[in-house]
Amino acid sequence: MAQQHATSQSPIRIKTLPHAQELKKPMMYYFLRSIIYPKLPWKLTAWTGAGFPIELLWAYNVFPLHPENMATVAAARKQSQRLIEHAEGMGYSRDLCSYCKTNFGAVDTKIKTSLGGIAKPDFIAITNTICDTHWKWFQIQARNFNVPAFIFDCPSYVSGTSDETLEGYIDYLVEQFFDFAAFMEKHFGKKLTEKKMRKVLEKSDRLCQLWQEIYELRKAIPAPYSSAETSASFFPLVVLCGVDVGIKFFEKILADLKERVAKGEGTLTSGKEKYRLLFEGIPFWYKMKFMYELANYEAVVVYEPYTYSFGPRKPLNLSLEETLRHVARLMLDIPYSYNLEKRIDYFKRCIAEYNIDGVILHENMSCRPSCSGMLDLKEAIQKECKIPVLILQCDMNDPRAYAEGPIKTRIEGFIELLAANKKAK
Amino acid sequence: MRILAYFDSSHDMPEEIIIAAGFTPMKIMGDVHQPNDPADQYLQKFFCPAARSFLTQALAQSAQWAGIVVAHGCDATNRHYDVWKRHVQTPFLYWFNSPIRNDDIAKRFYIAELKRLIAALEKHFNISISHDNLKSAIAQSNEIKIRLKTIAALRSTKDISNSEYFNTIVACLTKPKNECIDLLKQIEVEWKNRPPFPQNKKRFYLTGSDITYVEWMELLDECSIRIVRDDLSIGERYFTTTIPEGNDPLEAIAEYYLTIPRPATKISLDGRIEFIVNSLRETPVDAVLSQNLKFCEPYAYDAVPVNNELRKRGFKVLHLEREFTPLFDQQVINRISAFREML
Ligand code: SF4
Ligand code: SF4
Repeated sequence: MAQQHATSQSPIRIKTLPHAQELKKPMMYYFLRSIIYPKLPWKLTAWTGAGFPIELLWAYNVFPLHPENMATVAAARKQSQRLIEHAEGMGYSRDLCSYCKTNFGAVDTKIKTSLGGIAKPDFIAITNTICDTHWKWFQIQARNFNVPAFIFDCPSYVSGTSDETLEGYIDYLVEQFFDFAAFMEKHFGKKLTEKKMRKVLEKSDRLCQLWQEIYELRKAIPAPYSSAETSASFFPLVVLCGVDVGIKFFEKILADLKERVAKGEGTLTSGKEKYRLLFEGIPFWYKMKFMYELANYEAVVVYEPYTYSFGPRKPLNLSLEETLRHVARLMLDIPYSYNLEKRIDYFKRCIAEYNIDGVILHENMSCRPSCSGMLDLKEAIQKECKIPVLILQCDMNDPRAYAEGPIKTRIEGFIELLAANKKAK
Repeated sequence: MRILAYFDSSHDMPEEIIIAAGFTPMKIMGDVHQPNDPADQYLQKFFCPAARSFLTQALAQSAQWAGIVVAHGCDATNRHYDVWKRHVQTPFLYWFNSPIRNDDIAKRFYIAELKRLIAALEKHFNISISHDNLKSAIAQSNEIKIRLKTIAALRSTKDISNSEYFNTIVACLTKPKNECIDLLKQIEVEWKNRPPFPQNKKRFYLTGSDITYVEWMELLDECSIRIVRDDLSIGERYFTTTIPEGNDPLEAIAEYYLTIPRPATKISLDGRIEFIVNSLRETPVDAVLSQNLKFCEPYAYDAVPVNNELRKRGFKVLHLEREFTPLFDQQVINRISAFREML
């Protein structure tokens, strides 16, 4: 019974990989620069966010500052609640995205970088591909800082969009790439060289290739790597796509995983993997223990569309025009924000390939876009894959939404369903 | 004439294309009196209640409509389309992606989107939409906009209630256009003969989320405040400017939709503020009423910088969050009344 696992005398553990600690290297690389570069007048920095092709910034030698990433730091350092409440005091509604409010609070209170603070950038570069929040938030901050902003307008790739229409959307984005070039030249006198762009894309592709190989290994039973670790280790994909530092780290992780899989070992205490889960949505950054605690129920998260989304392969050896079209396509078609029809197919595929026993859908009060269609997704998985699905209402950065007792009860109920479902099979 | 309904979080749907196709365009407004249970099967309760009400209406009435077009706007239109596609029974459901930018690149894209919409209508309904059809649709649309602008301007000088103004615009967004023109002609005569602006009322500017039900306007009537200017889509955004009547109707439609007063769902914030400030310079008011429908994110983001800027420029601003309900919220009435007394 689930209850017994939770109180077991010898708790089941997540065994971290030998090179897990090496994540410190890319993190140090990034955080030191994010403190120093904004102070150097000759270094350009930009705020950007998920969905923006970060390679474009690296190709211009622009250092990407990442407010969402820093918001997660604030949460992990137990600062997000006070920053969110500060932003609410500034007038931002309780119903708005907690990343955004963490950032408003961080900027207004001038909190230090190690606690989730972030420097003023030279400009802002964002898209609307995932949500309204991204560009609304960045537009407000660009105005506050009085810095230029470039917003990529990505049409919505809704269910049933024809290939022809999609090509029209890509045409529109390609035109915006040229406009971005004009923006960079106008404001900063910077020109993009094709050679540098290709180099950055090569490095980005290498990083993503490694990530996809890591994901391939996660198919192994028992699972060698869980979301308890990937939620942190995917960090290089967020901000370092295009530089070397993350590549070395991923190579080591991949080597560790290969060894683990070859030995038939899993991340959970030997012989204890019972339930393989898919977790949809952003993790609870202030409560990463949640992912570890699932181990107490002999459950392990082996797939997360969220971390997978950050690592699509990049186009190489194509003409400039084809390269831009490919990048544009990637901007419109992100697993984290797939349209409902694609999302259902994608989940069905992952569930089969990763031998998933159950799905946890994070109904994130901060993120309405990711919750749209969630009820249909739940129904489709239950009906077509015949596995239990738990919708867990919470918030990724606002600890006020995390109700310890009720969440524990719901997880235990879910584990019982998983057990019953396995038995019935 | 058959109705072609549209889900539009602002004024992004080019009604003229629907008119030129021979349909009556009808903006889906939802019904605040109906519980949202039908939509709640598919959309959680923390989604915008107006958008859930639109879905409830579509689930109940779509059989009476020739089809539905959803225009790109907020996260509700952009993400709920997929849910509509799965559950709303309609022979024609179309996604129209109006851009959030409004520069030349966006204009080219907008024209391409117009052409795709026209092609889809022509193919599905086996019709042909000519330039002449488009031009006469533009002329009809412009006549409505000009007439609405004329009568809306009377709000600050005559005794015209908030609910009368609101109902007139709703009629123009939902009824056959020729009926609207007749209605507007009558209203113009009638409103011009109204007594002057009542002395016991205060003049307000209204901004924020769109109001979709008259009861909220009645609540403002109850509070003795008069909305004499606004920047709502079911309001001035719909008629502030007219469509240029040039040679190329698609170019004219694109020009119009990309230059109307900007909603919170489109770039840019400064453009929105500028429009409000200019209106406030044209028409003196006692205060600005900024309201946000619960869970409406685009306007909740804008409310802080917009209201701060207005206050910085010396305007008095009251900001409220409102529930989606036909009932008079006593707390809201108390807040408005207290604010009114301070003026
Ligand atoms: S959490 Fe959701 S709403 Fe917030 S920035 Fe991310 S995608 Fe946008
Ligand atoms: S009220 Fe706000 S959230 Fe709702 S449909 Fe309109 S713009 Fe979108």
